Amino acid sequence: MKVIVVGGAGLPEQVAAVLRDAGDQVTVIDSGLGREQALADAGLHYVVGDPLVPATLEAAGALKADVLLAVSQSDEDNLVISLLGKRRCGVPKVIARVNDPATEALFDATWGVDAVVSPATALVEMIRVPVADPTVS
Amino acid sequence: MQVMIMGCGRTGSALAVRMHGEGDQVTVIDLDKTAQGRLPPGFGGVFRHGNGVHRRVLEEAGIAHAEAFVALTANDSANIVAARVAREIFRVPHVLARLHDPAHAEAYRELGIATIGSVQTTVNRVVQLLHHLTLEPHQTFGNGETLLVRSRVPDYLGGRNAGELNVPGEIGVVELSRRGHSQIPEPTTPLEPGDVLSFIVAAGSLGRLRSFLDGKWSS
Repeated sequence: MKVIVVGGAGLPEQVAAVLRDAGDQVTVIDSGLGREQALADAGLHYVVGDPLVPATLEAAGALKADVLLAVSQSDEDNLVISLLGKRRCGVPKVIARVNDPATEALFDATWGVDAVVSPATALVEMIRVPVADPTVS
Repeated sequence: MQVMIMGCGRTGSALAVRMHGEGDQVTVIDLDKTAQGRLPPGFGGVFRHGNGVHRRVLEEAGIAHAEAFVALTANDSANIVAARVAREIFRVPHVLARLHDPAHAEAYRELGIATIGSVQTTVNRVVQLLHHLTLEPHQTFGNGETLLVRSRVPDYLGGRNAGELNVPGEIGVVELSRRGHSQIPEPTTPLEPGDVLSFIVAAGSLGRLRSFLDGKWSS
């Protein structure tokens, strides 16, 4: 699959590397945060540019991409990137990260978001699920 | 008018003071508590600390009653998201958002959000002042992309028709004042030296209009 990853150091680049290793065609958008050397060292394909500009998404291949990951640390950026990816580039699957649970309600189809990744919500849900008791069969 | 301003920086605080001074009910929201210090002591409006992208913050600030919402933070994405929430979720009738980076204009256009382009407005104004001093606009539209300017008809254009000054998409003659009487000229109305014309003109075509008026016109 052709996947575009927006988001910078940390989780986004780790996900990009895992997908690349799994055989996906991955392009990372580096928004000029000085990650070029790290991306090159990791052997990741990248383009440099502002992901809030449609031309950058297009340069990263968004018009032919299967998946767009808008997983930066700014919820507002993720929403706008999702919107542009869906409406301007027609990316079939847009996955966005929620950093602040208070903004989670915004992450829906009206912003072009098909699926949401919310670390905080995922953790909370995990906490609520009881751990299976190995002594009970 | 009940107006909600997101972003209490230099612009947001100045707007808040001005609108409150003109009798409007003003609420200012800022992520940073200390931003309240930009408002003068005794400011009669309301300051609220919070993220204007959060629904709860907007609701508690009274957005249900707001007639206008203005997003003036330093972050284009935050302005876009908040403006859209104000307009589409809370149905605020008048929504404006500041655009810092002209490269982001596409995202605002995609959502139909009216923008205040700080950069574009400044650039248009500086070029206007440096290049076209003689064509002081009576009115500017949008972020200065379109202007209404008035100018005397120079002698050499006497006898030409008003329509000859029209350039589709760039310059339009919209009004003619002659001896104290104003009219909307036909394209065939002959001009007389001493007439004063009002033009609607694209900012990028001010040079062209000026060269018409300076006698560099050839047809």
